[in-house]
Amino acid sequence: MAATATDRVSTPVTAPPTGAPLLRLTGIRLGYDTDAGFHLAVDHIDLNVWPRERIVVIGPSGCGKSTLLKAIAGFVEPIAGTIELAGSRSLEPGPDRALVFQEFDQLFPWRSVLDNVAYPLRINGSGRKDAAKRAHEFLALTHLERAAHRHPHELSGGMKQRVAIARALALDPQILLMDEPFGALDAITRQRLQFELNRIVEQTDVTLIFVTHSIEEALVVGDRVVVLGDAPSQIVEVVDVRSLGGPETPEYSEMRGRLRALLAVEREEELER
Amino acid sequence: MTTVALPRARRAVRWDSLPPLVRRTILLMALIGVWQAYVSITHVSHLLFASPWQTTTTLWNDWTNGSLAGPTWETLRILLEGIGIGIGIAIVLTVFATLTTVGSDLLALLTSLLNPLPGVAVLPLAMLWFGINESAIIFTIANATIWPVAINLSTGFKTVSPTLVAVGRNIGLSKLRVITDVLVPAALPHAVSGLKTAWAFGWRTVIAAELVFGVAGSKGGLGNYINNARLYLITPRVFAGLVTIAALGVVFEALFGALERRTIVRWGMQTS
Repeated sequence: MAATATDRVSTPVTAPPTGAPLLRLTGIRLGYDTDAGFHLAVDHIDLNVWPRERIVVIGPSGCGKSTLLKAIAGFVEPIAGTIELAGSRSLEPGPDRALVFQEFDQLFPWRSVLDNVAYPLRINGSGRKDAAKRAHEFLALTHLERAAHRHPHELSGGMKQRVAIARALALDPQILLMDEPFGALDAITRQRLQFELNRIVEQTDVTLIFVTHSIEEALVVGDRVVVLGDAPSQIVEVVDVRSLGGPETPEYSEMRGRLRALLAVEREEELER
Repeated sequence: MTTVALPRARRAVRWDSLPPLVRRTILLMALIGVWQAYVSITHVSHLLFASPWQTTTTLWNDWTNGSLAGPTWETLRILLEGIGIGIGIAIVLTVFATLTTVGSDLLALLTSLLNPLPGVAVLPLAMLWFGINESAIIFTIANATIWPVAINLSTGFKTVSPTLVAVGRNIGLSKLRVITDVLVPAALPHAVSGLKTAWAFGWRTVIAAELVFGVAGSKGGLGNYINNARLYLITPRVFAGLVTIAALGVVFEALFGALERRTIVRWGMQTS
């Protein structure tokens, strides 16, 4: 069998994905208008995501990884290619692809923590009581019960991001999309939330697409890491990291070195151009 | 480490340690005392200067017999009508400015031309168009209200976080509900500050306009009450009218303060 990008790592602990992919990206090309004219961010991306996978998209700044996430969320229309979620191609923004942003101001400041989670549920047809009950469950999952009746401005950055995660998960999305959600946090909070996210994702069986520019974060959070090149980007490589041990193992160091090399090589080519 | 024995503080009540309300009440009493003392000591003519006592009795009499209450309610009614119309037009202009570039340019031009104009400056024109009646005053108040409210509202809408709007669409809000459930509450701090400015401008304008109308011989309103009192040299009434205006100003400030504390302060959204 020919070596593909996905089976470079020996003996995966978790079974490799089988069955039909949940999300199918085919020939995706993405760009947007800027003051300096049209910017082609993503040249060509093909990617399949299977249910319950955790995909981390990593790449240099401006490589279009956030734009890719926005396209999946329905905010950016691809210039070419198709995005297919569970067989459906007409994708308006919606709660089936709940999004967690990097910005702390993603919570509604005029709503309590509880209501920030419960209100989107009411919008999507839950009764007031059911919404509150479910919101409490997800606040418990993210260890936020004690903050339920506070307002967002009374929370720390890490707590705000946990509320955003609780809100997204309570919507029971087919895919949870996260756009550098821990990028604005301090190192310690960031690490705590990475582990907490892993626990939550395991408990909820959600499919995850997580964008970051941190190699360590990619290794902690991901099953597969999609490495993008410089804009206009293509997939440089997809690596399977689900069987990696902890940071103290040689496999981990080796993988970190490899991702570093992949990302650094791209930078050099950029400089030569 | 040595402890330095501080000279024992005298057990006088320190001004700073008193609650603000007590401090202000004491100051107010002192000012009224100075006022009374001035009248008693200098024996200034009663036709020119009313004492606190005269002012208080006049206030009490005219509020209980309705000769001051009537004009006050009249002024507030005209003011609310003018502000209401002004806010309505400001909302229409702001929506137009938010939706189209022409509207946005037009609003910027109009506000830069008309906002610096003191509200009462358009009164002569309003008198030409509407005659010497309350329509002219309402027009003047509306004009004084539209521009500050429109500026604040459109700034409010323009500065809503794009992330918050994206969240609104992501959780499945329709376009209309993004406006009502995200844009409007997010613009509330600016809306409240627009409302405060509208109130302040409108309040000054209505009193000024009524004073002018008092000269022109029309009836009704606090400005008229004061001007008539001047005409008949009933000086305590002039004072009573001024005290009423000041007191209403304090009451409305307190109402706006309470509104802000319950909303934007509680939500951590206060600007500045």
